[in-house]
Amino acid sequence: MKKNVSLGLVLVLLALSFMGLKVRIEQIPRPKVPGSSIIYLPSGKYLKMTTFGYSSLAADLIYIWAIQYYGDTAIADRFAYFTHIFDVISELDPKYIDPYRIGALIAIYDNQDIPLALKILDMGLAKNPDQWIFPLEAGHYAQMYAKDHELAKAYFKKAMDIPGAPNVAKRLYAAASFKTSDLKTAWETWLEVYQTAPDDQIKKIASNHLYEVKAAVDTAALKSALEKYRERFGRNPVELRQLVRAGFLSSLPQDLDGKDYLYDPQTGEIKTQVSPWKR
Amino acid sequence: MKTVLAIENVYKSFSTGFIPKKREILKGISFSVAEGEIFGYLGPNGAGKTTTLKSVLGLIFPDEGRIELLGRPHLDPRAKERLGFLPENPYFYDYLTAREFLDFYGQLFGIAKSVRDERTARLLKVVGMDRSSGLQLRKFSRGMLQRVGLAQALINDPAFVILDEPLGGLDPLGRKEIRDIILNLRREGKTVLFTSHILQDIEMICDRVAIIVGGRILSQGKLTDLISEKVLFTEVTVSGVEVHELAALGESLTAQADRVLLKVVEEDKVQDILALVQKKNGRVHSLIPRTQTLEDLFVDMVKPQ
Amino acid sequence: MTIKILKVIALNTFKEAVRDRILYLLLFFAAVSILFARVLALLTVGDRAKIVKDVGLASISLFGALMAILIGTGLVYKEIEKRTIFTIISKPIRRPEFLLGKFFGLVLTLFVMLLAMSLIFLALVFVHTGTIEWTLLAAILFIFLELVLITAVAIFFSCFSTPILSSLFALSFYFIGHFSWSLETFIKKARPGATKVLLQVLYAVLPDLENFNLKTEVVHGLPLSAAHLLYSAAYGIVYTAFILALAVLIFRRRDFV
Repeated sequence: MKKNVSLGLVLVLLALSFMGLKVRIEQIPRPKVPGSSIIYLPSGKYLKMTTFGYSSLAADLIYIWAIQYYGDTAIADRFAYFTHIFDVISELDPKYIDPYRIGALIAIYDNQDIPLALKILDMGLAKNPDQWIFPLEAGHYAQMYAKDHELAKAYFKKAMDIPGAPNVAKRLYAAASFKTSDLKTAWETWLEVYQTAPDDQIKKIASNHLYEVKAAVDTAALKSALEKYRERFGRNPVELRQLVRAGFLSSLPQDLDGKDYLYDPQTGEIKTQVSPWKR
Repeated sequence: MKTVLAIENVYKSFSTGFIPKKREILKGISFSVAEGEIFGYLGPNGAGKTTTLKSVLGLIFPDEGRIELLGRPHLDPRAKERLGFLPENPYFYDYLTAREFLDFYGQLFGIAKSVRDERTARLLKVVGMDRSSGLQLRKFSRGMLQRVGLAQALINDPAFVILDEPLGGLDPLGRKEIRDIILNLRREGKTVLFTSHILQDIEMICDRVAIIVGGRILSQGKLTDLISEKVLFTEVTVSGVEVHELAALGESLTAQADRVLLKVVEEDKVQDILALVQKKNGRVHSLIPRTQTLEDLFVDMVKPQ
Repeated sequence: MTIKILKVIALNTFKEAVRDRILYLLLFFAAVSILFARVLALLTVGDRAKIVKDVGLASISLFGALMAILIGTGLVYKEIEKRTIFTIISKPIRRPEFLLGKFFGLVLTLFVMLLAMSLIFLALVFVHTGTIEWTLLAAILFIFLELVLITAVAIFFSCFSTPILSSLFALSFYFIGHFSWSLETFIKKARPGATKVLLQVLYAVLPDLENFNLKTEVVHGLPLSAAHLLYSAAYGIVYTAFILALAVLIFRRRDFV
């Protein structure tokens, strides 16, 4: 018994020693080479083989680690392996939606890298063609941050075509079409929205947009005619009817509500009587 | 007379099973072994023989009681300096050769190399394994392992040797050889304690015995004291006399050709038979008085349990 | 505790371990792994030597750990199971002497194996860089220190558990030891309460094996902090002593049925 007591004391002493040493060691800074711990994260294919069927769990763990890793702003060069890491996560569990969306978010907010974000979302869509959220968010980012309406339009179209996509996708597509001056598509789409509108509010919105599109089409036609008139006669017409009489227009366009467009002969400006949003 | 081993009131129980149930194996055993004697320790399977030996060696720790080995508390490593032990069904490092094996144990005693070499060679010869000295133990048969194990038990020239079932698994010639070795040890002044199931062997060479049954020592002492020399009955084989004539004198066990085997209880009846045979000009082929054997004693002790 | 007895048991254990085929299987795979670094290096654009060093050190570390665990967990258990321990205990040897002798025997074995792996590795590095880098030896030395610790853990489990379970425990110990940072993260994120305390206790008791991992410094040519080296070495030794003392405690009063 005595021997056991002395041994127990030795144990306690040793335990206190190593715990104390551990605390001391932690205070010594060690150089952190960014990405050094993950540089040999093999490609997802090989990692998948080694996880023995627990690949979705491995994906979860790597994802959780990645969130901490990218949240640590002290690591200066942490975006060097961004694509690789999210590649691995998507390879391990292609159906895991969150990493794609959060990855894109991180890319935009922490690194202002829109192409990277879009790349991630594209990856997500490629692996999950039924997930409309990816092109929807991609279109959103393209529109908001890159101001690339052509790109946004393409994304919204993709989103819209996926069964189960919310109606807002269509509306966003229509709006993007308008922004890219694809007035024909904008008109047709808004018309669809109007005809399939589930409630009066949507109907009103669609109607307003249709008004706007018509106004844009009509304004372009009127301006084109004005141009031709100026070429022939060297001055602006007094009123728009003159364009019809001169043969530059087949008829005088009116806005969606049947009202005339306002015309200022001094400047040649064409305006709608009301704002599309205040009808 | 010096006591080589003194066991006093040793108790040991084990708790086994998922829901620990206490099983008492040794229920207060006491006996002692005197210097220079061959001591037999016997009992049925499960009685506690091996548990006793393991307690003496420090493989198991008794719950209660005292054990003194070669004049020292049994757990003192110095007590083992002059002790030799051969376990039952010996297992040894099978990657070693017989010579390396003995050399290893010799080193544990701190024996000098030259002495080790000499003793290794000699002991291998004594146990009849000198031609296999370079063979790996994994290639040894059970009998061979037993012999080499005995050599290991003697490597330190012990004063006291404990052997657990040393004669098991050996053919009659082998058993005789080991018996002779044990007798030789006594001649050299050493003390031997061994356990065995083969009661004839114990009867043949032991001075004293202890019988353990159900964790208790039921009997211990000199063999000659425990077993009476009283003749139980006599077996007589005769020829030349008709069976019916002998019927009155003894129980006929077998009658073949002209020979009759009789079991005779009363001593005087034996004389009657001899007289009868002489009268009839017959022949006495054998006359064997059967005394109590150790087996009889043993069976009597064990049966009531 | 006599040094002589320790030496006898250690050398015998060394003889036993060296004849274990699994050792050579692992050595073979370690060699393949190190040489595979050369293949990887050929596929890389840029600093080839870095990959060779990195993969080489990682292989030595991993296979060394496997050797320590696979052999260590059988060491004591086999003696008890096969009952070879019966004759040993009947000799004038104390149980702690036996246990420590086994430990040193395995450490000696690992030292020899590590030497073999290191030679292959250093030769390969020489092929790539034309020099022998001494800092690599420092990294290998600390890998050895880590292996000594893991050996102690493996032997500890071997005292009371079957080789399969012991191997699982020891492997888990190895992995948890290398992912100590995740434990730190959990503690930071955990809400104050019983779980947090439990995690903190675990963190204090389990070793951070990354302290022995000098790969980053050595491969990137960063300076090695003397303070870190000294304290880490001390930590390794103290922790090993702790585990061995624990093993002795358990082994001492065990009944060998």
